[in-house]
Amino acid sequence: MNDQHEPADHILTTRGLNHYFGERQVLTDIQLEIQRGTRHAIIGPNGAGKTTLFNTITGKYKPKSGRIFFKGKDVTGFKPDKLARMGLGRSFQINSTFAGLSTFQNLRMAILARRKIRFNFFRFLDKIKSVTTETDAFLRRIGLAAERNLPAGLLSYGKHRCLELSLAMAVDPELVLLDEPAAGMSREETHKMVELIRELTQGKSVIIIEHDMDVVFSLADRITVLHHGEILATGSPSEIKSNQEVKDAYLGEAEVGNAA
Amino acid sequence: MKRQFGKWCAWAMILGGLYMAPRVLGVFELNVLLGTAIFALFSLSLNLLLSFTGLLSFGHAMFFAAGAYGTVLVLTRLSGFPLLPLIGIGAAAAIGLALLLSPLLVRVSGHAFAMLTMAFSQIMYATVMKLSHITGGNDGISGFAIPSVSIPVVGVVDMALEQNFYYFAISILGLSAWVMWFFTRTPFGSIMVGIRDNPERVTYLGFSVPLSKAIILCVSAGFAGVAGSIYALFQNMVSVDGVLGPLSSFSPLINCFIGGLGTFIGPIFGTGIGTILLELMSAHPEQAQLVFSLVLIAIVLFLPGGVIMLYWKANTRWMAVRQNIQNRFFKRRIYE
Ligand SMILES: Nc1ncnc2c1ncn2[C@@H]1O[C@H](COP(=O)(O)OP(=O)(O)OP(=O)(O)O)[C@@H](O)[C@H]1O
Ligand SMILES: [Mg+2]
Repeated sequence: MNDQHEPADHILTTRGLNHYFGERQVLTDIQLEIQRGTRHAIIGPNGAGKTTLFNTITGKYKPKSGRIFFKGKDVTGFKPDKLARMGLGRSFQINSTFAGLSTFQNLRMAILARRKIRFNFFRFLDKIKSVTTETDAFLRRIGLAAERNLPAGLLSYGKHRCLELSLAMAVDPELVLLDEPAAGMSREETHKMVELIRELTQGKSVIIIEHDMDVVFSLADRITVLHHGEILATGSPSEIKSNQEVKDAYLGEAEVGNAA
Repeated sequence: MKRQFGKWCAWAMILGGLYMAPRVLGVFELNVLLGTAIFALFSLSLNLLLSFTGLLSFGHAMFFAAGAYGTVLVLTRLSGFPLLPLIGIGAAAAIGLALLLSPLLVRVSGHAFAMLTMAFSQIMYATVMKLSHITGGNDGISGFAIPSVSIPVVGVVDMALEQNFYYFAISILGLSAWVMWFFTRTPFGSIMVGIRDNPERVTYLGFSVPLSKAIILCVSAGFAGVAGSIYALFQNMVSVDGVLGPLSSFSPLINCFIGGLGTFIGPIFGTGIGTILLELMSAHPEQAQLVFSLVLIAIVLFLPGGVIMLYWKANTRWMAVRQNIQNRFFKRRIYE
């Protein structure tokens, strides 16, 4: 089996991933190696294929060619729910919560998943004390206790974003893919979000897509730059900062963007 | 505490009323009540898909029909089959049908689900007509005797007596409704609502949406089957137009809308109101359809939350009034 070729300290490896939308190639020969217990950032301009890469890794799309190894196992073609049960979590670029349900009910769904309570038809959910307690504890941890009974759709954008992240983290994944968790946030909110990410992802492996370079450089152990669906460079933050190709393709633009 | 007390009072009144019904109602009224209860359970089972999972089924009558035919075919072919297992056979037939269709049905939602269920229901109609040597086709099967039930201590209970059958049927219907309500309150029930709101997120939390939908479909079909089974026994006949015709195909949906989507008990109110309307109009059956449709239009336009919204509104208003009274009383005490 190829399984043996994947070093044990890599939680995720991709080999030669290609993905197309119709005729158009959006991912070209993607090779990723994510070290267990590290935070790995993926940066790149709009439309570079970052979200598509997440969708491919998590099994929403099946790659046209290439292999994906998660925890040393070939998981190419696995469905998102199966990968989630194996410990692969994911948050969304556009908030994707249960808008009509309360913040508590939202988070409780994730706690049920964490405790592997899936096909339980024989108990009142409200009477399972441990689930309620754990959900409330998590709400306090993320600072949403006051919004416990508010429908998620009525949360302020910043708090909704926080719930979005928490839905992924409350399941207790080993590896989590965060798609622009701080998108659309103010300076202050972004700062809080970074702290929350740091807190919630302690000891876990993380892949994070982010446009905000301050966030990237303060969180990431390694960085991969994606450009037109191809990997331009992968390296430590300082290596990426000094990489001329990256500067030309992306960092320059971002700095211009920040200055404007 | 006070709320709890009120709740128990309401329950006592409902149960007491259902218990007393055969003593105070005539045979006709009792039959109307039981007919309503049967369609209420049928509507509740549809509502499990509609309100809780967000799936619109146009073909739910096929499960109702499967229950009715399942029970009657076994009853007329195997003499001496006891009554309770006969209902079980009805449920099993409906669940069997749901299992057969689920590989296709669980992969779709929205319009596709509505159209697929409608198509399957049509196929069932055609099949029942085609197999007329078994199903009796248009004429159906009728004139069978409902088996007696022997209960220890009580002795043999003759189900040919209206009132005995009423007690038997209403108990099964009530119990079924309670089990369904319980089902919505379990951990799985919350996942069901999650699927309605955001199936993709449910998937990413690690729940299998197709498998969950298959289970919900079986539960919903099973209770529709129970309703169909009791309906056939109650009518003492089963015919293709009786269980697969427009009445059984559309009235549960209409009942859900009249009662109010999004709540568990809405369809019970909807069925009750539907029955009352039909009975009021029974002298003019030609106009009944028209009046019914007008009521439906009025509700969709002016009361989109259904009749149940009237209760919620009244309840909130009453709460406000009570708060107001308490505030005044409290203030006066302070000033005095
Ligand atoms: N479902 C889809 N069907 C067809 N084309 C798509 C689809 N999803 C994305 N694309 C296209 O694929 C390209 C990559 O999109 P993707 O969303 O992966 O970019 P991204 O790097 O996440 O960008 P952003 O920073 O704006 O989120 C884009 O040109 C986009 O228009
Ligand atoms: Mg994106």
